[in-house]
Amino acid sequence: MNSLYVEGDSFFHRLPPRPKLVLLLLASLALFLTRSPLLLGLAAGAAALLYGSLGIGWRQSWIRLRPILLTIMIVALATLILNSVEDGVTVLLRLTTLMMVAAAVTATVPIGAFIDEVTHAAWPLERLGLVRAADIGLSVGLVIRFVPEVVSRYQQLRQAHQARGLKVRATTMIVPLIIQTLKSADEVAAAIDARGIRGQRQARNLEDSR
Amino acid sequence: MTTRDLVLAALFAAIIVALGLLPPIMLGFIPVPITAQSMGVMLAGVILGARRGTVAVLLVLLLAAIGLPVLSGGRGGLAVFAAPTTGYLIGWVFAAFTTGLIAQRFVKPSQTSLIQTLGFFAAAVAGGVVVLYAFGITYLAFITGIGMSKAFLGSMAFIPGDLVKAVVAALAGRAVMAGYPLLPARA
Repeated sequence: MNSLYVEGDSFFHRLPPRPKLVLLLLASLALFLTRSPLLLGLAAGAAALLYGSLGIGWRQSWIRLRPILLTIMIVALATLILNSVEDGVTVLLRLTTLMMVAAAVTATVPIGAFIDEVTHAAWPLERLGLVRAADIGLSVGLVIRFVPEVVSRYQQLRQAHQARGLKVRATTMIVPLIIQTLKSADEVAAAIDARGIRGQRQARNLEDSR
Repeated sequence: MTTRDLVLAALFAAIIVALGLLPPIMLGFIPVPITAQSMGVMLAGVILGARRGTVAVLLVLLLAAIGLPVLSGGRGGLAVFAAPTTGYLIGWVFAAFTTGLIAQRFVKPSQTSLIQTLGFFAAAVAGGVVVLYAFGITYLAFITGIGMSKAFLGSMAFIPGDLVKAVVAALAGRAVMAGYPLLPARA
């Protein structure tokens, strides 16, 4: 699975992740405080400059932003027809600005740095005993590791269907896919605990709870 | 959360991601293409229950947020949370939770398979349609200012597809319960 991070050496690339995430948060709040087309237009221009400075290129940018841009266009057009031209333009400018800032952050923060930020942000939750911050990185790693596995299981099941002359149906595919995948949970969990990846304390808790 | 629960949630998140890789299908009687991914959210609740199901969905959203193209159509990155349809993504979390809560409360291994399937269907509809659309429509109405009723009408086109998904999720949930029961959650 390729991440949406793009290597580069622009100013925004060199900025540490946290200020970028704070900027995105502030932008998402500030954009909803104003309805002035001039201010929103300026913001959109600034966001476009920011995104342009990353050196991603027109073609690649289009591929990346197309699905979201399309939804924004449809909704903005609907707003324009249902309400007023002003409302439609406001929606269009707000959301495209936000999209470009968000895409700029995504393109300049590598996955590892992002997980570190999330783990850091989860510390207060760990203090409250809600989550274990270290589990977040572990789970993200597990999901990335298992997606190709699930996809190859899906293909095997499809071939098995074809070999038996059966039509590939949602119900006959999903059930074996889920059961086969979830059945590996015990092995994977045992492997994680055997290596003490979640720490000894947790392993003992597990014994106690059984 | 035990390591096993964590792994189950992560594995299910991988299933939801994989469902997003399948091409969207057109059903004859619905004007919009339907993707299998949002069915994954119902399945997470029906199969894993409230807690693990919610964690599975949160993991998918986290992966999307940190820049992996895990959502259907290869979408990902923080920009997906800047779309008019973001309410549906936020709603996923509460949809999985609601579906899971109803499923684990009302569906018992002792019931007949018909009752179980109907229970799962009700759970999937309550979470994956009612709760999900409540979030999606409210967010759409808020962000565009078109008002709740127009946002509601605009979203109607997707409801038949989601009802079909709820049927499939209920059947699959029942079959998984028979083959590899995970509800009620083992400690």
